[in-house]
Amino acid sequence: MIDFIQTTLDGLSIGSAYALIALGFTLVFGVMRRINLSYGPSIMLGAFAGTWAFVTLEAQPWLVAVVTIAGTVAVGMYVERLCFWAIRKDAAIASMVSSFVIWMQLEEVATILLPGRTYPYPELFKFGGIDIGPYFLRMEHVTTLAVAMFMLVVLRLLLYRTRFGLALRAVSESSEAAVYMGISPVRITFWAFVFASFIGGVAGYLLLAADQQVTPYFGLWATFKGLIAMMLGGLGSIPGAIVGGLLLGVIEAHTQWYLGNAVKDLTAYLVLFLVLVLRPGGLLGQGIVERHAQAFRRI
Amino acid sequence: MLKLDDLSKHFDGVRAVDGLSLEVDQGEVFGLIGPNGSGKSTTVNLICGVLSATRGKVTFKGRDLHGLPPHRRLNAGISRTFQNIRLFGELTVWQNVWIARRDAPGREAGFIRNWFGSSARTREAIEETLVFADLAGRANDLAQNLAFGEQRRLELARAVAARPDLILLDEPAAGMNREEVEDLRQRILALKHDGITVLLVEHVMELVMGVTDRIAVLNFGKLIALGTPGEIQGNAAVREAYLGSPDSESA
Repeated sequence: MIDFIQTTLDGLSIGSAYALIALGFTLVFGVMRRINLSYGPSIMLGAFAGTWAFVTLEAQPWLVAVVTIAGTVAVGMYVERLCFWAIRKDAAIASMVSSFVIWMQLEEVATILLPGRTYPYPELFKFGGIDIGPYFLRMEHVTTLAVAMFMLVVLRLLLYRTRFGLALRAVSESSEAAVYMGISPVRITFWAFVFASFIGGVAGYLLLAADQQVTPYFGLWATFKGLIAMMLGGLGSIPGAIVGGLLLGVIEAHTQWYLGNAVKDLTAYLVLFLVLVLRPGGLLGQGIVERHAQAFRRI
Repeated sequence: MLKLDDLSKHFDGVRAVDGLSLEVDQGEVFGLIGPNGSGKSTTVNLICGVLSATRGKVTFKGRDLHGLPPHRRLNAGISRTFQNIRLFGELTVWQNVWIARRDAPGREAGFIRNWFGSSARTREAIEETLVFADLAGRANDLAQNLAFGEQRRLELARAVAARPDLILLDEPAAGMNREEVEDLRQRILALKHDGITVLLVEHVMELVMGVTDRIAVLNFGKLIALGTPGEIQGNAAVREAYLGSPDSESA
């Protein structure tokens, strides 16, 4: 029993990082009805900027965090301009393919900048963790979980309580009508990308600070986990992104503990497959599956 | 106030609007009628900037609108409603009106306030708009849950919320019963009373004849008649092109 609960806690910790990445995917999908495959690689490149600052400038951890987040936002803006803004609204397939192409490009850039395989990344806390009875929580994981919950609340408030959020939802529903409300869909999309990249940068920093290293594969890994978590929780649903992320983390932790590392990813895919067959909109996406049906087919 | 000058729009050789010149005066209710496909909607879209003209120009309050993107035209003072209702179904009635307001920075409490909240004055103005559209009781309902007539009224409320100088109404009476049409007529007259200029594109003759000051009749993208409702009703060319067509039966 103690093992089970400890494994669940570990799963929730890694899952909260998945949840953050899924939030970024959801934000972009929610506004544009498009999937940005190069989201993970953008975070990776931002993290490479961070590690570069760490290695060559011997920057403090907080500065590495700032550089990582700012770097991710900058790359996110580049991706938006190059493959979402430049490609027209109705060409969803084209923009998804071009986001894949940019993914390759970003990985190239990363390996040119830092040709080694693995680079160190500063840890967030010097002290290790906290003990609650028989359970042990790593400080980084508690922080990640707290940050994910905080981001969820901020994003909910932003989307439902501000005029910017209203504009965002209006564009997502009908960008043609939004234009006549004096809203520029181009600008709203741009800011949605900036926010998504910011969240991605934060997630990237927290994950890498826990691992204390970064490799070029981080981009692939982040896109994978974020996409699966989003699909699991519900396409375009913000609470769904959180639930999907946490669930994915817990499933992975348990299969790893009971069945071994080799079946970890396989189980995640199997669960995703079952969820998509039984509830095509994801766990919390059922209510919106009708509305998204069109977008779903387009993708 | 609004001046169309040799305005033309060709789609692959089809002349949807062909050398249209007319002038709408400040404060009048101006009707734009014509059989289906005569170029009315295209004209509205040219004024709104969704389409760009093949030739000619649109001048509004002495300013050439050429090249002004559609989302800037609201700030220039032009708002519109849609023939097919295009509300934001997942937003509440109140939010639909809020988002349509033209609270440019400097006009009210500034950028932060505009994007992150609403001042008492804004709330009051929204309340007023909702009363005008007889929707005050439904402020917190989602737009998608409104009845058809209410959705039409919300469309109008949203166009009014921006406090425009010119409102383009694109077939606002479509699907309305007699009573609702009369309601709409009263609201248009109220807008006129407030000094707002109205360009009304409509098939429902009862409304057009009962509310407009002047009417322009289009056929095949060209202006075929211009005058008061009385003059238009007596115009032989209009009868032939428009009133005699089966279209007037369905209207």
